[in-house]
Amino acid sequence: MIVNIPAATRPPAADRGHPSAEPPTPTDGERHRRRSRIRTAVEAYVLLAPSLIGFVLFLLVPIVGVVVISLFDWNLMGSPHFVGLANYREMAGDSEVWRAVRNTVYYVVLNIPAQTVLALLLTLAMNRRMRGGKVLRVLFVLPWMAMPVALGIVWNWAFDPQNGVVNQFLSLFGVDGPAWLSSTAWAMPVLASVNIWQYTGYTMLFLLAGLQAIPESLYEAADLDGAGPVTRFFRITLPLLRPSMFFVLVTNTIGSFQMFDTVYVMTQGGPGGSTDTMNFHIYQQAFQLFRTGYASALAMLLFALILLVTAVQVVYFRKRTVYDFS
Amino acid sequence: MSSSPIPAAVRRAPLYAVLLVGALLSVGPYLLTLNAAFKRPSDLLSTDAWAPAHPATFANFADVWNQYGMSSFLLHTLGVAVIVTAGQVVFSAMAAYALARLEFPGRDWLFWGYIATMMVPQMITLVPLFLMMRDLGLVDTYAGLVLPTLLGTPYGVFLVRQHFMTIPRDLEAAARIDGATTWGILVRIMLPLSRPILATLATITFINTWNNLIWPLIITNSDRTRVITVGIAALQGQHASDLPHIVLAGAAIALLPLIVIFLLFQRHIVRSIALTGLK
Repeated sequence: MIVNIPAATRPPAADRGHPSAEPPTPTDGERHRRRSRIRTAVEAYVLLAPSLIGFVLFLLVPIVGVVVISLFDWNLMGSPHFVGLANYREMAGDSEVWRAVRNTVYYVVLNIPAQTVLALLLTLAMNRRMRGGKVLRVLFVLPWMAMPVALGIVWNWAFDPQNGVVNQFLSLFGVDGPAWLSSTAWAMPVLASVNIWQYTGYTMLFLLAGLQAIPESLYEAADLDGAGPVTRFFRITLPLLRPSMFFVLVTNTIGSFQMFDTVYVMTQGGPGGSTDTMNFHIYQQAFQLFRTGYASALAMLLFALILLVTAVQVVYFRKRTVYDFS
Repeated sequence: MSSSPIPAAVRRAPLYAVLLVGALLSVGPYLLTLNAAFKRPSDLLSTDAWAPAHPATFANFADVWNQYGMSSFLLHTLGVAVIVTAGQVVFSAMAAYALARLEFPGRDWLFWGYIATMMVPQMITLVPLFLMMRDLGLVDTYAGLVLPTLLGTPYGVFLVRQHFMTIPRDLEAAARIDGATTWGILVRIMLPLSRPILATLATITFINTWNNLIWPLIITNSDRTRVITVGIAALQGQHASDLPHIVLAGAAIALLPLIVIFLLFQRHIVRSIALTGLK
């Protein structure tokens, strides 16, 4: 059976970039119409002005700025010297940078699959009428709004080797827990667990909406064909959930690549650089070592990395999904 | 449904058990933090984390509030979050209306420009933004704290615009015939019909501003402007080992207000997350 994504599962996209025709207003003559068009344009730009000023000044100019600054050797306190691509050449040979790239990718890999699979299981469990369903949904979303800095503090305490709740709990079963955050092997998974805790419920909520948009008739037809629950899951649920999955994966991945707060609070990149992620490394270069130009080049690398990974996800999903990108 | 010899309630028991464990894991860190913040320092070290705070004490909250600057951190954060939220809601709604309904040259360009920048990582803009604020003399000021996000974000504009697109045009056409101005239509027709999405945008903005660490970390450097994220991060750095009860009370104060706000608006937000996938 060829399955097309039914319109109901698409995200609400009221327009396809084309405004519908303006209501016909009675005007006398071309001149009048032109004047009203100009007036509308002026009104539009007045309404847009604050947002547009912010957009240009605090987004576009900095984006252009960072490209330019990345071509300079600049110590923030001193004066900038144009050095062409020297920052990028230095970056290519900087083993700490590549360690930060590896650490970031490792963090994303620890995060995204665990988060997505857990959220999917939770979605399937929640996808039914049951008493307390709404309350459960709210409880699952509560972690989403937590302040990552405060979570870092709480997790540091929870994973303390002596007084932490995790090792206290493990000791009930006679297990001697490791010194989590001072271990190069465990520090990163502990950091990832903060993010998994925070975003699993949020992801579930979004997948649940996608799941509930799948028409019941498809399942009824599958029942008539004698399909079991496993077949139904892999042949109907999962394929029709792909647009939601796509969105969740892309946005969660982009977010994960930029993790900063928890590293800053919990490990400061340690132990032994094992949790030094891209964003943290850029922050240190820019605002602690004041290597403004070099940090800008690193920021470009992070952007390139995010673009690359997003492009891969788009290509992967586009091949397998009829998705409305508007 | 096939009839089974086992009653539905029993068949569902494992499912409920799993969901309950999940819910407990979701709420657990909050509860443990709150519980710990009420423990006396000696109890915090000598009892299990899940043992209830008994006797409970308010001293940790009082100390972090009075002696460790929490009252001023909270005041600064509250001020910044309220100002940024108000600015974003107003300016996003204005821009969204222009993009959703008015015909003007450059509109599609602008719209796609906004969309294109939503993927740019925040870190990209921080160095130039800091330099800009330094040249304007706004380092360590409230203006420096709020300015980059006060005028709205492409995301907020996009969110409200998408909602405006779903409002039928007939309403506006009728109002126009009755002589309503563009501003009148926005304020009297569009905004009242958009309360849920505006409440959602306000809540999201408030949460993001409240929780934001990196910009305040860069742009502030004194107690005069220090916000709660920077404040408790510093507390953690200095006192995690010798005063864990103070640090945890600080974390509890940072976490709880958002839960209250969320519970007030959860009906809108849960639906909006489901519809639009908010971050």
